[in-house]
Amino acid sequence: MMEKHLSISPKEARLVMAHMYVAFISLLVGGLMGLLQTFVRSGSFDLPFGIGYYQILTAHGVILALVLTTFFIIGFQFALMSKTVGISDKQRLSAWIGFWTMLIGTLLTAGTILTGKANVLYTFYAPLKAFPTFYIGLALVVVGSWIACFTNFRQLAVWKKTHKGEKSPLLAFMVVINMLLWYIATLGVAATVLIQFIPWSLGMVDTINVLVSRTLFWYFGHPLVYFWLLPAYMAWYAIIPKIIGGKIFSDALARLSFVLFLMFSIPVGFHHQLTEPGIDPLWKFIQVVLTFMVIIPSLLTAFSMFATFEMAGRSKGYTSLFGWIKALPWKDVRFFAPVVGMLAFIPAGTGGIINASHQMNQVIHNTIWVTGHFHLTVGTTVILTFFGISYWLIPSLTGRKLTKKINTLGIIQTIVWSVGMFIMSGSMHIAGLLGAPRRSAYSTYTGAEQVDTWIGYQLAQAIGGTILFIGIVLMVYIFFYMVLGAPKGKASFPIAEVSEEAEPTPQYLENWKLWIGITIALILFAYTIPFIDIIQHSPPGSEGFENLIR
Amino acid sequence: MKPERDNISRETMVNPKKDNTLKGTLISVLLLGAFILISWFIVFAIFISR
Repeated sequence: MMEKHLSISPKEARLVMAHMYVAFISLLVGGLMGLLQTFVRSGSFDLPFGIGYYQILTAHGVILALVLTTFFIIGFQFALMSKTVGISDKQRLSAWIGFWTMLIGTLLTAGTILTGKANVLYTFYAPLKAFPTFYIGLALVVVGSWIACFTNFRQLAVWKKTHKGEKSPLLAFMVVINMLLWYIATLGVAATVLIQFIPWSLGMVDTINVLVSRTLFWYFGHPLVYFWLLPAYMAWYAIIPKIIGGKIFSDALARLSFVLFLMFSIPVGFHHQLTEPGIDPLWKFIQVVLTFMVIIPSLLTAFSMFATFEMAGRSKGYTSLFGWIKALPWKDVRFFAPVVGMLAFIPAGTGGIINASHQMNQVIHNTIWVTGHFHLTVGTTVILTFFGISYWLIPSLTGRKLTKKINTLGIIQTIVWSVGMFIMSGSMHIAGLLGAPRRSAYSTYTGAEQVDTWIGYQLAQAIGGTILFIGIVLMVYIFFYMVLGAPKGKASFPIAEVSEEAEPTPQYLENWKLWIGITIALILFAYTIPFIDIIQHSPPGSEGFENLIR
Repeated sequence: MKPERDNISRETMVNPKKDNTLKGTLISVLLLGAFILISWFIVFAIFISR
């Protein structure tokens, strides 16, 4: 059955656009910080005006990985919900409250970083200690995002009441899965920030349990990656097929993969702590196994994408083995940018499998390989898909057209981004295998021989970073042109239909109680015993270190 | 009822459904799997050699 789609009112468009403004301004500011870092690490540049390397590193991580992503995702998801299930006045008001809460939190945290009082990087590992407003700001961002979560849950619940017995629209189902994942995951980071970091930074307690804080952070930190990725998957599954003139390969497969992400992306945080003392190796191994389960929905997605493309091409008469590739609209930036993102996910996902491979993690642990890895995942796959979404979302919200000129500029932007990232991330991967550390500023390590093998790659990172920054400037220009300069008109909001040949979607895929129940059971299984063990066998807590690095 | 059902099946046989083979997809996912395995074993070799 065909889904009915609603139109987005100007009030709804304003809500989504508010999120987009924050996202694209963050892209410019955070990107500039990244550029400066690559210069410093090349060994031929010193930061002016007493700005510290770890200050801009923290700003880069927080502004891009937390602020840009969260605002873009929540804005995009509100657009999808408005289009598929609608939004009431009350729900829109709560969405605005969520937005302002997140924005106040962001300004508080960013301000603390920029004044040099929070050189703790975006993972804010204890015992590095920031000024309390850093943590309070982060807590506000999380609380604001929870308001968005419950608004989305309410939107679908209201729709279900008036559409009894109908399956929920695919995109609304996906949004709710992603927000459930986010809500369950952020409980961990909220716990560590509220119970540990804020009292500690305010001086109410003297010490902090470092391992507990890191474990709670990574309980959140891995599903965070999927919170970034799932909106990209929403576009791949349900929007790209429309852009290429095809259909969704299978509604049931798309829903199944999202359900699997919900279940398996959370109880896996230990794979970020594989070299950490104090965690029982058996539980590390169990979480590695669970991590490998999360590969399944990604492979389902890869299969589904190829199948969607091949079916679309063959239906247009391209019948040879790979002839369907020619049928794809390579000159349409709404397709080109996300598909380059998809291709980047092949090495990105492979790198992730290597990272999570238990003892093999030692080869790359804390090396710049890991930085290269997440610049491919979130910095290419996710962000190029978000750019691809922007090319139709922004004009459709602002009542303008995607012009030929912007389409061409967008294709150039995608190429610039890909070239820059290939050079930067590629050299990060190689330098990492040679032992170059991540996070740290430029150092000759007292002239150690091994350092000579890295320096060429560090220069390459600066070159790649510069090209990427050109890509950022181009994208920010494109964004503001689409908001202010593009000719008035009507841009489509593409949502694909499911192929007639797809099997019907089984009812049980929408059994929320079952999926949430399994998710909670898996989390309790993977964390209860090791977490009790960590608390019972803790070493004494640590005092805080302020401005230890700058 | 019986003759009508026969008509349908004959029509289906005479006009087979549109080309819905997924051979290209099969080869693509096999290549993807091969890429993952080869990359993994390269890093595994580094791990073993160190």
